[in-house]
Amino acid sequence: MKTEPASGDTVHPVRFKTTRWTVVLSCAKASGAPEIAREALTELCRAYWRPVYALICSHGHSPVDAQDLTQDFFVMLLKGNLLSLADPSRGRFRRLLRRTVENFLSDKHQLSLSQKRGGTLEFVPWDEWMAEAPSQLSIYGQELQNSTPERIFDVRWAATIAEAALRRLGEECERRGRLRVFTALSKFLSTERVEISYTSLSTSLGVSEATVKRALHRLRVRYRKILREEVARTVTSPADIDDELRYLCAALASEQ
Amino acid sequence: MNDEKKFPPGLTDLPVGAVGSYSRCRCGSIVRVASGLCASCLLRRGLDSSENETEDFDAFLATVDVPDRDWQLGLYRILEEIGRGGMGVIYRARHIPSQRVVALKRVLNYHSDSQETLCRFQREARAAASLDHPNILPIYDVGVTEDQLPFFTMKFAVGGSLLSAMQTFRDSPRRAVKLMAGVAMAIDHAHGQGILHRDLKPGNILLDARGEPLVSDFGLAKWLEASGDLTRTLTVFGTPGYIAPEQADQTMARLTPAADIYSIGAILFELLSGRPPFLGEHALAVMRQAAENEAPKLRSIVPKLSRDLETICARCLQREPELRYSSAGALAEDLERWLDGRPITARPLSVPARIYRWARRRRALASALAICLVCAGVLVTRQLQNWNLQKEVRKGELSKNSVAVLPFLDLDTATVQSLFTAKLAKHFETALGSLGNVRVVTAENTIRPKAAMRDLQTRSALFGTLRKVDGNTRLSIQLLTADGDLLFQRVVDLASPEQLTNDLAPTLFSVISANDWSNSIAANRDPGLRNEQTRELLSAGRELTFRCRVADFDRAVNCFEKALHLEPRSALAHAYLASAAAAHTHYLSNPNLLTYAQREAEEALRLAPNSGDVLRVLAGIDYQRGLFRRALEDGLRAIETGAPDGKSAAMLGMVYHELGRPDQALRWLEIAKAFDPRPGEYEYHIGDCWSALGDYDKAEIAYRRANDLHPERGQGVVGMSLLYLLRADFGQARALCREAERLNPDSPENAQLAAQIEFFARNFPAAKKIYSVLDRQDAHGGGSFYGSVSYKSALGRIDLDAKSSAAVQLLKQSLAREQLQLSSAPDNPGFLYQIAAIESSLGENENAVAYLQQAIAAGWADYRSLSLDPRFDNIASDQRVQALIGRVKLKMEEFHKEVRDH
Repeated sequence: MKTEPASGDTVHPVRFKTTRWTVVLSCAKASGAPEIAREALTELCRAYWRPVYALICSHGHSPVDAQDLTQDFFVMLLKGNLLSLADPSRGRFRRLLRRTVENFLSDKHQLSLSQKRGGTLEFVPWDEWMAEAPSQLSIYGQELQNSTPERIFDVRWAATIAEAALRRLGEECERRGRLRVFTALSKFLSTERVEISYTSLSTSLGVSEATVKRALHRLRVRYRKILREEVARTVTSPADIDDELRYLCAALASEQ
Repeated sequence: MNDEKKFPPGLTDLPVGAVGSYSRCRCGSIVRVASGLCASCLLRRGLDSSENETEDFDAFLATVDVPDRDWQLGLYRILEEIGRGGMGVIYRARHIPSQRVVALKRVLNYHSDSQETLCRFQREARAAASLDHPNILPIYDVGVTEDQLPFFTMKFAVGGSLLSAMQTFRDSPRRAVKLMAGVAMAIDHAHGQGILHRDLKPGNILLDARGEPLVSDFGLAKWLEASGDLTRTLTVFGTPGYIAPEQADQTMARLTPAADIYSIGAILFELLSGRPPFLGEHALAVMRQAAENEAPKLRSIVPKLSRDLETICARCLQREPELRYSSAGALAEDLERWLDGRPITARPLSVPARIYRWARRRRALASALAICLVCAGVLVTRQLQNWNLQKEVRKGELSKNSVAVLPFLDLDTATVQSLFTAKLAKHFETALGSLGNVRVVTAENTIRPKAAMRDLQTRSALFGTLRKVDGNTRLSIQLLTADGDLLFQRVVDLASPEQLTNDLAPTLFSVISANDWSNSIAANRDPGLRNEQTRELLSAGRELTFRCRVADFDRAVNCFEKALHLEPRSALAHAYLASAAAAHTHYLSNPNLLTYAQREAEEALRLAPNSGDVLRVLAGIDYQRGLFRRALEDGLRAIETGAPDGKSAAMLGMVYHELGRPDQALRWLEIAKAFDPRPGEYEYHIGDCWSALGDYDKAEIAYRRANDLHPERGQGVVGMSLLYLLRADFGQARALCREAERLNPDSPENAQLAAQIEFFARNFPAAKKIYSVLDRQDAHGGGSFYGSVSYKSALGRIDLDAKSSAAVQLLKQSLAREQLQLSSAPDNPGFLYQIAAIESSLGENENAVAYLQQAIAAGWADYRSLSLDPRFDNIASDQRVQALIGRVKLKMEEFHKEVRDH
């Protein structure tokens, strides 16, 4: 039987310390990229690798090539020689990250794919990250079929934020030994009250209807809080949170 | 447009096929995340400023009394259910000490609570866990839950399974080949460790984030399959469409690595062509296809694919395991070669391989061939040259005007007459050659026309039979197409083969050399097959008939009646209707239904006097009516007129068995198997023959196979139970009888068997109870079951012990009924035996002995029932009876020796 690998390989659910991207940026600007920036950046990569990857795919790279390029991108980012090129005063992290990826890609074309990747350290442990936080995104119809890379990036970004907040809520419940409550109720987070059968939820969870109602209410309130925290990490001022949320909702709306 | 093109890559983790489809949200958003939650609605929650968090959330959660205790298995916390099926359920789970996310597979509905079985599961799972290869899904842990349900945990494969990603490989053969090369290497590694997979299928090939394959569930298939659909009741572990033909045919223990190689080939085939090699309406049909037919050529489905890929697939999908790649490693290497643009090592099947394949099928002749090969090197060289030459010629020209002459069947001995065939072929060659250019090839290696045409690349095949009739030789010949359609058929009595060839050569020549056979085929085709609706009714009815259940016979009759309503001139519909009705009477005697069957069969014969199918059905009805001699004649005529067919041969086997010739019966059943290689079709009858010959080991093997392959029929277990009953091991017989009841609860045979066990065990109250119920259901029943114990005669015999006058009355009634039956079939051994039994019960010992003598002279061979049957108590100690038993026993021993030596 296999033995467990060394604990260094394992992933802990407790994370999202509240790193703001501005912190990363200011650290990255200072030469030498101290340990704290590296850690913070790692955290952001883990949170936002999906939009980066989707963007690279939308530029016509095959999934496997896109994974390698995403990996390279984050390595370069970590070295501090990509993000420092961007101007933090002009826009949000989302926009900045997208532009940085675009720059990286056009640059990468010159570099071509001759660079052997075998030697580079695998910075993005895809399997673990995905196992830890699987995404169940689905898209109605074929609306994104001919979308611009920019829109695809925004859609994936919006979904990532919504999923991240959902996951954090789940983890909070799991830590308290209430994952079952989360699993039963989370699907109603966005639903109107009239559509919910409190009776059947009460039966399946074995608590009163009043408790179910209260729990769902509290989950919603908590979700809102976590969500705003998530968005806050990507904007420079709390005043921008509402704006960013509206922008992301618009990105998710149908064009047809 | 394909579904996989629905949205751009990179947006989802899983292959698109695995992502659920949801509608657009009412808010207008098109994106949904977990549980179908609308992403936009979720984000809008953040804008809702009406509700601010005031209390501590953790503190609140603590007040909700729904703890996660149940959601923990050992050291694992269940995060979510990600799959369910068969006997297993899979969760995404977290290993609490390390916080690692794993996949946890739990075995549900676990059948056995024995510690031994549990240990076996753990042993096998641990063996699988010992495999360490980048393309094998690592197993981390094997354990049991508190309620003793086994589970194991493994790496969580984020890319889902190949099953949902399949379509994404359709247009990229390179990706498909690369993937399967990885799978082949993984399998090779496992084989090196002595572990077979046994159920390789797309659902067991998982993908990691980069789309690399991770093969899962090594050797664990049997723990994860459930009972329910047809695939599973077969107790053949594996998945139809991907399992090797020998897997359906053999016990798990005897499988070799070649079975896994077949599965890899089948999956590669499907990835490249978009469909599995064999298609069918249901699992059984697929398995039948795989057992009977060569896999289609890859390029016949996707012509643009490379010829090398076609060769690689074909090599994997060989029906004979020995002809596949020698190892999964060799297959992986060939796939790599193809990827690198190097020449592959596999070649289309060579002449030696074909000879080998033939030799495998005809083991008896194999050694003879080996000698021939050594002695007649020249011949082989010529054959090889001939072969090469054939390859040179374009296929169309090659197969035109060509006929394979199959070995003729000697109907008197149920043997294949190769020498005669060779002589006949020579005559045909000369006769046809004088008329024009016809290639005549002797097919010594098979008696299956399709196989001969394929191997020898001919357009038609000539099959025939011979037997002695009134001092003449009666020959039949049948010319068949590759699809099994009869082009020409004739039965003649003559003095020499020359006469036949000369008389028939011009006719045959014109048929063989015709460019287009479609008209003559259409003209010969039964009207019921020309119309789609009736064709479907006929096929549905046949499927129902083969289920061997009383209710299904009625449904089958219904199908055929409907078909006849649409197409009254369909001889097949009449014949099949007759067959289903007669089969019904086998389980529940019903003279009216049997008469109906007879009438329908006669109508069928009137419509198609030379149809093998009709004659076979007629033979079946003769059999059911106890007219065995007539059944024999009709059965032989069926073989003479119809295309070679397993069912006719099996029917003859059954008739010979009834006539006290289990040795001859076995030969016919072997021929049935050669004609019709569906695994397990005839094993049950073969078991009966070995049982009659006193070879219990062979009988048990055959019954077991029957049961392994057709457990739903319950016949195999009935046979096994009888084996114990005949050896007076009533306990075992009872246990197996209960098992038969479980497998096929609808079969009246179960109750007949149960009653007979108690009757022979002299547990009369129990026997009486069952017989009374049976008698109420079927007043004339019981006689056609093993041992010929009619319900009434048994009840009469039981009541005699209670000195009841009603008993004598019952026995007399029963005797009158048997006398009546005998009058219509005077030499029926079963009727004679039955009368002997009743006479004995009535104390008419002289009559009893006389009838018994007649029964045995007519072919009654079941001396063991005779010794156990309480109805014979009055004459059991009679020396004449003992002598009779001794004689039959001796005869069976002689037959057994003969069969064994043969």
